[in-house]
Amino acid sequence: MLTSHVRGVRPGGGFPLRIELEHYPRYSPYGYGLAQASEVKVNNVDFNQEFTARMIPKVEWGALVEAAESLGHRSDLPSEPIPDYGSNEDFLRKVHHVLMEVEVIEGVLKCPDTGREFPITKGIPNMLLSEEET
Amino acid sequence: MADGGQPPGALQEENSGAHCTGGISARYFCTAGRGMEIFLLKEVQSRLGATQVEYVSGKVFFTTSAELRMLKKLKSAERLFLLLDKYPPLSISKNKGSIIHDIQKLVNENSRIWLDIVTIWKSLHGQEVKQENVSQEYPVFQKRKSEEEGSTNNKRQKKEKLLETISTESQVEDHQERCDMSKANTDSILLEGKVFLEKAWESIQEKCVESGSSISFRVSCRCSGALAKVFPAQVVGRIIGIALMKHFGWKADLRNPGIEIFVHLNDIYSVIGIPVFRLPLASRAYIKTAGLRSTIAWAMASFAEIHAGDFVLDPTCGLGTVLVEAATEWPNAHYLGTDISDLQLQGAYSNIRAARLVGKIDLLRASATELPLPPGSINVVFADIPFGKKFKITNNMKFLPDVLQEIERVVCVGGTVVLLLSRELYKCINDGISSGPETENHNSVESLSDCTEHAVVSLEMNTQEKNGIPRIISPLAQSTRREDISNTKTILSSLLLVESFEVSLGKTDAFMCKYKKVTSFASIKS
Repeated sequence: MLTSHVRGVRPGGGFPLRIELEHYPRYSPYGYGLAQASEVKVNNVDFNQEFTARMIPKVEWGALVEAAESLGHRSDLPSEPIPDYGSNEDFLRKVHHVLMEVEVIEGVLKCPDTGREFPITKGIPNMLLSEEET
Repeated sequence: MADGGQPPGALQEENSGAHCTGGISARYFCTAGRGMEIFLLKEVQSRLGATQVEYVSGKVFFTTSAELRMLKKLKSAERLFLLLDKYPPLSISKNKGSIIHDIQKLVNENSRIWLDIVTIWKSLHGQEVKQENVSQEYPVFQKRKSEEEGSTNNKRQKKEKLLETISTESQVEDHQERCDMSKANTDSILLEGKVFLEKAWESIQEKCVESGSSISFRVSCRCSGALAKVFPAQVVGRIIGIALMKHFGWKADLRNPGIEIFVHLNDIYSVIGIPVFRLPLASRAYIKTAGLRSTIAWAMASFAEIHAGDFVLDPTCGLGTVLVEAATEWPNAHYLGTDISDLQLQGAYSNIRAARLVGKIDLLRASATELPLPPGSINVVFADIPFGKKFKITNNMKFLPDVLQEIERVVCVGGTVVLLLSRELYKCINDGISSGPETENHNSVESLSDCTEHAVVSLEMNTQEKNGIPRIISPLAQSTRREDISNTKTILSSLLLVESFEVSLGKTDAFMCKYKKVTSFASIKS
């Protein structure tokens, strides 16, 4: 869901171009835009089956899998969401792990269009731009 | 729990419906910040199934049979008391002796009520003690905790043991809720301290429950109005204290009392109660460092009507207090906090970790005037727009139109925006919405400083709210007004003011405003 605000990427003065990360920042940093992660942490987060199932249609699945892969946490996620995933606890637990529990502490996000890099420090991506960029 | 069909803003209780049974039916009252009574009113009804709910400024009275652990979950109250009784105000005659006599009568002529309420208070806590013992018998609770948690638990247990030996000496004091950022390092100690104090209180209560007849007490008295001119609160407190000692043979103990007697006398009523919990409800065990007052933060989240699966954004999250309150109460939503200050974000990050909400709340460092989010991607926005002592108003005034425009951009049609605004900002924004094209310069920086402090609007709205009719500005009226100024920068052009409340933040007042995004700005123009 993250977008880049770098001026160069704006098409015809419209809304900021989407940085091709993901729908949601928790996993978005680990989408196409993730250039490198030097520190990854795995947290224990309570599993909520319904909540996880509701997330899946909102996720850009390809980006999620790629991100999980690059972080070494793909945990056998298939390249397409399986049918009837709502009732498959095993599958949903894997998704939950990737979405909720894997956290990049130190790393870099990269805008695929401009190459602008956004550093992740202490778990918080810095999306601030300099004045020239806005 | 089937949270899909959950009504907007509904409280997520693990056993809703069951809360009415099991406890002892009793009359309570809560103290609340000014302006918070409306929220508390709704909360006691929805969370505790309370009946006979009534309120005066700063206090909400109700009857419920909810258990102690449910009572503890109240979020919009400051403190909770078991009501001993509510009387008309004392008549103030010129004869001091007769006033003293009247004060003594509060004790002497109502012996049965006093004893009954103390019995109820004891059995409330007696229940709790039993419940705690039961839960300790199930090792499942312990197993689920991670190693890290285990080690802190051990520390707590050690502290408890320590406490038992010194509890008679220790003086339990209220904790300051607001902590400076500079104190961030000592916060973990503070958090444990809160648990420690609550435990201390419980162990005292246990003793009190066991010991039965011998009751030690302390009187906390507040006087205002005519009575306060004749007697200071301490004197009234002493009169009541002496009466209690003479009449019931209770022991006064100012440092470490078994129960506290809370007396509030003013020109409108006389209220006597016993605090149910030693620590204020407003001091949350799960908030390490509070930015905004926790009750206000909870009210903002509750006002915003968060649904399961919503994307919720706080673009000026600071220490993340509103996010933590919201994610604790409504866990089935996605929370995102942004702030421009790295220091604040680090504080928010450690608050989120302490509240065990990692994975529920995400943080981004970004400017509220340039959010890295696509338009219409957020269902709910809540924002404590920075104002007041910590921030220079003039600086923020300059950015405010941009911040509001950005909020308006990212929220989806049908989405909700809850803003906490200073009086000045409130007036500027809402005048900007409801007035004609000639006032378009309200959006510019210069005119903002001209705003004076008028509270007429709020009064009008509050009364309307009591009648259950929210103030709604017709979207049609707005759209016609907007036609001529479509090229100028407009604030909140597609956001409809639904409801607003004036709330007190201690030294300053603020307005909590709810907006709905009705349609996009583009469609209003056409």
